[in-house]
Amino acid sequence: MVRELRELWRFRELLVAMVDRELRIRYKNSFFGFFWSLLNPLITMTVMWAVFKFFLNNKTDSFSAYIFAAYLPYMFFQMALLDCSQSIISALPVIKKVYFPREILPLAAVLSNFIHFMLSLGVYFVFLLAVWLRHPQNSPFTITLVWVPVLIIIQLMLVTGLAFFVSALNTFYEDVKYMLGVGLYLLFFLSPIMYFSEQVRFSNSLKGAAADWVYVIYHLNPIAMLCTAYRKLMLAPVKPYVGDHQLPYLPMDWGLLGVTALVSLTLLVFGYNFFNSMKWKFVERP
Amino acid sequence: MSDPVLSIENLHKEFMLSHSGSASLKTMLLWWRKRRMEHLQVLRGISFEINKGECVALVGKNGAGKSSLLSLIARVYKPTSGTVTVSGRIAPLLELGAGFHPDLTGAENILFNGVILGLSRAEAKRRTSQIVDFAGIAHHIDAPVRTYSSGMLARLGFSIAVHVDADILIVDEVLAVGDFEFEKKCYEKLDQFQKSGGTTLFVSHDMDAVRKVADRCIWLKDGLIEMDGAVDTVLQQYLGTP
Repeated sequence: MVRELRELWRFRELLVAMVDRELRIRYKNSFFGFFWSLLNPLITMTVMWAVFKFFLNNKTDSFSAYIFAAYLPYMFFQMALLDCSQSIISALPVIKKVYFPREILPLAAVLSNFIHFMLSLGVYFVFLLAVWLRHPQNSPFTITLVWVPVLIIIQLMLVTGLAFFVSALNTFYEDVKYMLGVGLYLLFFLSPIMYFSEQVRFSNSLKGAAADWVYVIYHLNPIAMLCTAYRKLMLAPVKPYVGDHQLPYLPMDWGLLGVTALVSLTLLVFGYNFFNSMKWKFVERP
Repeated sequence: MSDPVLSIENLHKEFMLSHSGSASLKTMLLWWRKRRMEHLQVLRGISFEINKGECVALVGKNGAGKSSLLSLIARVYKPTSGTVTVSGRIAPLLELGAGFHPDLTGAENILFNGVILGLSRAEAKRRTSQIVDFAGIAHHIDAPVRTYSSGMLARLGFSIAVHVDADILIVDEVLAVGDFEFEKKCYEKLDQFQKSGGTTLFVSHDMDAVRKVADRCIWLKDGLIEMDGAVDTVLQQYLGTP
C-alpha cells in the first residue's frame, strides 16, 4: 500500500487537474455557472426553513438550523458516492489508453463534491450569522465548533473508503449503483436529519434498556453518528419538541464517535486495498 | 549503441472472453456460467528490445495482438507473465478525442490531457500556445470541443501527444485522419521527434506509412513475433504471405 500511495503522490498534479475539470464540467453550460454551488444550498435552505417554520410549526428553537447541520453533510455523503459510482466507467476510453493510478478517478469525484460541501457550509454559517444578528440574545454557536474539522476528516475517510468499494464494484456489476440509490434513500431516513437523535432515545414505543440499545445500534451507522455529531458540536444544545412535549437534551457521546472514526478508518484502508486489487482489471471488464 | 529504452521479456497476455453478455451481479450469482468464460491467448511469449531513437512499426493481421502489445507497453494492462521494462515517459496518442470532454474548450482540454500525459499543470499551460499553433486551431481554442470537426480533434490529439516531451510515443493507427497537409506535418514532426532522440512505436495497416517512417519492423502473427528486422525485408515477407 505504501508503494501505491507513493505512486499516487507522484500523480498529484493529475488529481488537482481532474478535480478542476469536474468542477468546470458541472456548470459548464449554465448561465450562473459556479454560482450554482452557492445558489443550490441557499435555495434549499430557504425553502426548508419556510416549510418547517410555517407549515410544520415545530416549536424547537431555530429548528431549521439544526436540520441543515445534518442535511448538508448528508448531501456530501450522497452526492460523492453517486458521482464516484460512475467515475471509472465514464473514464474507460481514457484508461484504456493511458496509465495513471486509477484511484484518482473516485478521489476526484469525492474531492470535487467536498469542495461543494465546504461552499455550502460557508453559506450555512452566513445563514447562522444572519439569524444571530436578528436575535442577538441567543448565539447559535458553541465552543465545540472547534471539533468540526475532526468531524470533516472522519467523514472524508468514510466517504473515500466507501467510494473505493462503490467505484470498483460498480465497474463490474452495474447493479451496484441502483442498490446504492436505494440504500442512500433509506439511510436518509435512518439518520437523524429530519428529526433529532433524542427522538430515537426517548421514543414512545421503546422503554428502558431497549431504548438505550436502539440508540446505540442506531448510531453504529457511521453517517447517522456523524449527523448527530455535526449537530451537537456545531450548534448550541437544544431540547427538541415533539408536538407540545419537550424532550431532554442528550450530550455528545464521544465513545460512539470514536467507534465511527475507527469504522471509517478501517473502511478507508480496506477500501483502498480492495480497489488496488481490482484496478488493473477495469480495462479488461468482460 | 545498445541503449534500450524498452525491453520486453517473454511477455504473455491472456484475456477472459465472456460469452454471457455484459457484467452484472447476475453473472456473478450465476457462477456456473463462468464455465463459459473462454481463455484467449493474445500474446504467447514475446521478447524484444527497442533502442533510443528507433522508430518501430508493428504489422500483422487483425487480432494478431498488436494493440494488446501497445497497451501492455503503455501499462494499461498487466502482463499475465513476463516483463515490460520502460525507461522514460510514454505518451500514447489517444484515439479521436478519447481524453477530451465535449463541453470543455480546446484550451481546457489541452491542459487536462497534457497533465494526463505527464506534464505538470504549469508546464501544460506554458505549452498550450505551441500545441494550438501546431494543430492549427487557434481560431477555435475557446470553443467547446464538441463543435470541432473530426479532423480538428485528430490534429489536436496528435499535437498534444508530440508536445509533452515523452521518451516513447505510441501511435495506434490514428495518423490517417487529418488532411494531406497535416499528414505531412505529422511525418515531419515524427522525424524531428526521432532525431531529437525520441522513440516511436506504431501500429499501422498502411504499408506506405510504415515504409515512410519506420526504420525497423516487427511482424506479429498469432501472438508471436514472426519476423523482426529491416522494414523492406519484413514487409516483403509479410505482404508475400496470403
